[in-house]
Amino acid sequence: MRFKDYEIPDELFYSKEHEWVRLEGKEAVVGITDYAQKQLHEVVYVEVRKEGSVVKQFENMGTVESVKSVSDVFSPVTGKIVKVNSELADSPELVNQEPYGKGWLARVNLAGFDKDREKLFTAGQYADYLKTMEE
Amino acid sequence: MVVRRTHLYDFHRQHAKMVEFAGFDMPLWFKGIIPEHMAVRSRVGIFDITHMGRVLITGAKSEAFLNYVITNDVSVLAPLSAQYSVMCNENGGIKDDFIVSRLEPEKFLMVYNAANREKDFEWLVQNAGAFGVKVEDVSDSVAMFAVQGPSAQRALQKVADSDLGKVERFKCGFTKLAGCEGFVSRTGYTGEDGFEVFVWDTPVDKPDKAVKVWNAILDAGKEFGVEPCGLGARDTLRLEAGMCLYGNDIDETITPLEAGLGFVVKFKKASFIGKAALEKLKAEGIKKKRVGLRMLEKGPSPRPKQEVWKDSVRIGYVSSGTFSPLLQCGVAQAYVGVEHAVEGATVIVKVRDKALKAEVCKFPLYDPAKYGYMRQK
Repeated sequence: MRFKDYEIPDELFYSKEHEWVRLEGKEAVVGITDYAQKQLHEVVYVEVRKEGSVVKQFENMGTVESVKSVSDVFSPVTGKIVKVNSELADSPELVNQEPYGKGWLARVNLAGFDKDREKLFTAGQYADYLKTMEE
Repeated sequence: MVVRRTHLYDFHRQHAKMVEFAGFDMPLWFKGIIPEHMAVRSRVGIFDITHMGRVLITGAKSEAFLNYVITNDVSVLAPLSAQYSVMCNENGGIKDDFIVSRLEPEKFLMVYNAANREKDFEWLVQNAGAFGVKVEDVSDSVAMFAVQGPSAQRALQKVADSDLGKVERFKCGFTKLAGCEGFVSRTGYTGEDGFEVFVWDTPVDKPDKAVKVWNAILDAGKEFGVEPCGLGARDTLRLEAGMCLYGNDIDETITPLEAGLGFVVKFKKASFIGKAALEKLKAEGIKKKRVGLRMLEKGPSPRPKQEVWKDSVRIGYVSSGTFSPLLQCGVAQAYVGVEHAVEGATVIVKVRDKALKAEVCKFPLYDPAKYGYMRQK
């Protein structure tokens, strides 16, 4: 679905801090939403905690920098980071170009998604949340 | 406080990502900081800088007044000439930096930072009494744009009646712009050749003239690839050029000597506010100095307030930092101990949990033979 210019894929879960989660078995791929990348604009540097790091839901898992700003990224799930998107080191602009595709940030081995899930939005809820933010 | 708007608000709101700056709702970027920055370095860009403060200073003693309140010497200015200067408090700390132009033998125009509009005006009025000069704030009846880049003259010439080729750098002149009464000054805040353009008698509630001139320049600039530019690119451009941002690189706790602005302090003048303190500092020697930094490794960009280290000793701090769209790496302006202000030296910038190598550079941070107003054509 969409809200204004912002793409919100139906099959993902979303956080209040504008991260997304795609479930793939016991793992999840996470990234920042189309709304987030459009607010940041021109991403020039991405940093994610090292592979092997254990992250708790809503704990800092990295930073995304645009030309003039630095934003923290909070993990939308609890688990262990098993892979970091290494392409972003040379091509941080992928976060702008394909926020839900090649611009993914990390793959996390989930430690308890049922509990994480309670604090995440569905696509429809996230669209409503964006609506309230624009008001 | 009510957020103020410029004459171009409708254009900006339609085309730009907006940001509040110094009490004004201003464009942060239109297409993006990077394409706007590159347009100015390679072609031409136009900025709305109406938010800046503008005062006219008139009277028989206007030259004497300015020479008392600012650090530079306006007696060397012929009519229709401009100069960069600062004014200081009694301690030699910088109250603001600005461009002052002599319009007539006894009439000057001063253009200062938006964030300091009230403070500067009060300071000028407070010191003007003894000289019997008139200090008139004309900020609200004038629109102001900057047209900057190697193609700025050719683009602006298409809407100007006068021959802009005769207006040399740091000179100015009256001209009609798209049929409106205007004034141009060959100055700017990007490091590039270009003009700052004034449209007179156009209050914000009667924006027609301002809108007409803005649109005419955009139209005229099309063949040169003009881009409307926001405050984002304005900041990255000035940072690369080594120009100070008030509130970041200079403020009332920093002197012009430390900021590398000694060239605007004329000690041979009989007296000016801050002279005694600055003379003392000059005799004793400054302890810190503003330098450029260029990151030597890939990673996050330096940002204000981050620490600068050398050999396990803290030697200073970043005052402005960004990703440089031209150099494609992090760049900064920083204050370091004078003994470390050595071109080519390697220092460390602490960016969050990382210690990143940077090279101490002189300004501008780009190659002046390839970019900027001194580029070889």
